[in-house]
Amino acid sequence: MAYLSLTNISKNFENVVAVKDFNLNIEKGQLVSFLGPSGCGKTTTLRMIAGFEIPDTGTIFLDGVDISNIPPNKRDIGMVFQAYALFPNMNVRENIMFGLKMQRRPKDEMIRRAENVLSLIRLENTAKRYPHQLSGGQRQRIALARALAIEPRVLLLDEPLSALDAEVRVVLRGEIRRIQSDLGITTVYVTHDQEEALSISDVVVVMNNGLIEQVGSPQEIYRKPNTRFVATFIGTANEFHGFVSDSSHVQCDEINIYSTRVGKLATGVKVVLLVRPENVEIYDQPPGRDTQNVFEGKIDTITFHGAITRLGINASGKIITADVSISSRAPVTHNQHVWLSFDPEYCQVMAE
Amino acid sequence: MDISRKSKPTASQIIFITLFLLYMIIPIIATYVFSIATRWDRSILPEGYTLQGYRDAMKNPYFLITLKNSLVLSFGSVLVSLLLIVPTVYWVHLKVRLAKPLLDILMILPFGIPGVVLALALVQVYNFAPLNRSPVLLTSAMVVFTMPFMYRSVSNNLEAIDIPTLTEAAQSLGANTIDILVKVIIPNILPGILSGSLLVFATVFAEFTLARLIVGAGFKTFPMLLVEYTRKDGTIAAGLSVISFTIAWIVSLLILWVGGKGMKTSQDVIKAH
Ligand SMILES: Nc1ncnc2c1ncn2[C@@H]1O[C@H](COP(=O)(O)OP(=O)(O)OP(=O)(O)O)[C@@H](O)[C@H]1O
Ligand SMILES: [Mg+2]
Repeated sequence: MAYLSLTNISKNFENVVAVKDFNLNIEKGQLVSFLGPSGCGKTTTLRMIAGFEIPDTGTIFLDGVDISNIPPNKRDIGMVFQAYALFPNMNVRENIMFGLKMQRRPKDEMIRRAENVLSLIRLENTAKRYPHQLSGGQRQRIALARALAIEPRVLLLDEPLSALDAEVRVVLRGEIRRIQSDLGITTVYVTHDQEEALSISDVVVVMNNGLIEQVGSPQEIYRKPNTRFVATFIGTANEFHGFVSDSSHVQCDEINIYSTRVGKLATGVKVVLLVRPENVEIYDQPPGRDTQNVFEGKIDTITFHGAITRLGINASGKIITADVSISSRAPVTHNQHVWLSFDPEYCQVMAE
Repeated sequence: MDISRKSKPTASQIIFITLFLLYMIIPIIATYVFSIATRWDRSILPEGYTLQGYRDAMKNPYFLITLKNSLVLSFGSVLVSLLLIVPTVYWVHLKVRLAKPLLDILMILPFGIPGVVLALALVQVYNFAPLNRSPVLLTSAMVVFTMPFMYRSVSNNLEAIDIPTLTEAAQSLGANTIDILVKVIIPNILPGILSGSLLVFATVFAEFTLARLIVGAGFKTFPMLLVEYTRKDGTIAAGLSVISFTIAWIVSLLILWVGGKGMKTSQDVIKAH
């Protein structure tokens, strides 16, 4: 059995369905993130794991034990909040030792642990400061240290970085991941930032409207989205609407696209075919005969993004987005006539 | 807004402030002077000074009894008020936010009911032993009477901090409700608790109507003694007033001093907001 397991969890608020039929298994030591748009039920699910909300149905197992009826202060689950929630009346060391004091640990052990976690977050010299004397990023690190000090069985983080600047966010998320894997602590991380979820997680749970859309590794979620929602919520994708014309082709208006990803969809089923911009290949001459899914077009827009350049290509009226890396090819110009192709491996097909 | 920036006060401001201060201070100074004056009805300044009034006041056997009664009553009311109001207001802020407007309105009621009415109503309703005319009933009445002071001070202070999140943070660290209240919530609302306690103490210590009507002579309070002397000897009455002021001030300083350390960190918190 998985270390943390949620079975058939659902939760309603008055007439709002916050979470519906949620099933998830989390292995020991994994970092799992809940990713989804605002209001999809991420926080509610996290709060049910913490014990701050009681599920209407379903059970939560931790290490094989049903914890559904255990109050939050007995669950041994650490939590980091978006608003830090440091105790303003205590200095950094007192904040960190609070949980240990509640466990009535011996004084010298408390001091040793506080020093350990402070060095973990590299803020050894702040022990005597009060929360209001720290920057936002420092406060969140202290909040993390405070949650880690009690050596919780599970660590929960609810959008811990969303109140911070972009730069601090990137540094801190790397740090959270480093500490998490060093300690091997089972972690659930809530975010609505896809880049954050993809970059630090072992497993990403994409949620929408209280339901799980897909569970998978960041690579799976990105490369093989199961639903149209996942495909469009994560990264960008060119969308083609049409129907399955045979076991490996989709007919979209005038054009017929070859895809190895039609799967078991029956002929005639209405589908959407998705191709990510980085899977669109660009040529300034017609490509070889064996290249599949070749179309012609004119470069309409060019946007420089640093490592890549994003092109908008007008192919008989439809704008197709393609990402090219400048180093790999000759420069492109506005209105340039180009050929493009989709790799059939990366043409996702899903029923509408 | 930058409060620290100083601009020169205008002439009208100076006059207004001076008049206000005189209005507040003259009666107090006059009381102090009157309490040590030998005779002060034929001249602008008293004809002579003496401490005889104080000596006479303290000779009265009721002096110490009433002083003790009033102190017990005032501290008792503060204590009951704290135990009753702080957990209630915390709970409302945490769990039943919807009840807050209701509580806000409820807390204006004591201002709307004259003390006489409250006292007579209580005497009639609790007209049975052991409650009737007891100091316990009086304390309860005082707590109700001064409830708005404690409620407002505590409630405003709770408003300034994120109660639900701090509570949950403490819970996730293993704290139970008592730990949360004592170690997290109360230290952060200490300024509100102190100012509420001061207001309750001062009000109860000087309250006459309720005490007179509810317990009467059975439990004589300091203001009752004072009122008795206003009919007999003005100088002694003034002396008792001075003592009453002084006690109120000493207690204020004491409460501020006790809470001084917590006060300081809480002010830092408010500054940081
Ligand atoms: N205490 C509550 N009372 C009523 N409705 C609630 C409550 N908490 C959450 N909801 C509703 O439940 C749904 C899910 O909320 P939740 O906070 O879990 O979303 P979220 O995914 O965390 O969103 P966000 O990214 O904005 O934080 C929302 O529609 C929300 O309005
Ligand atoms: Mg949320």
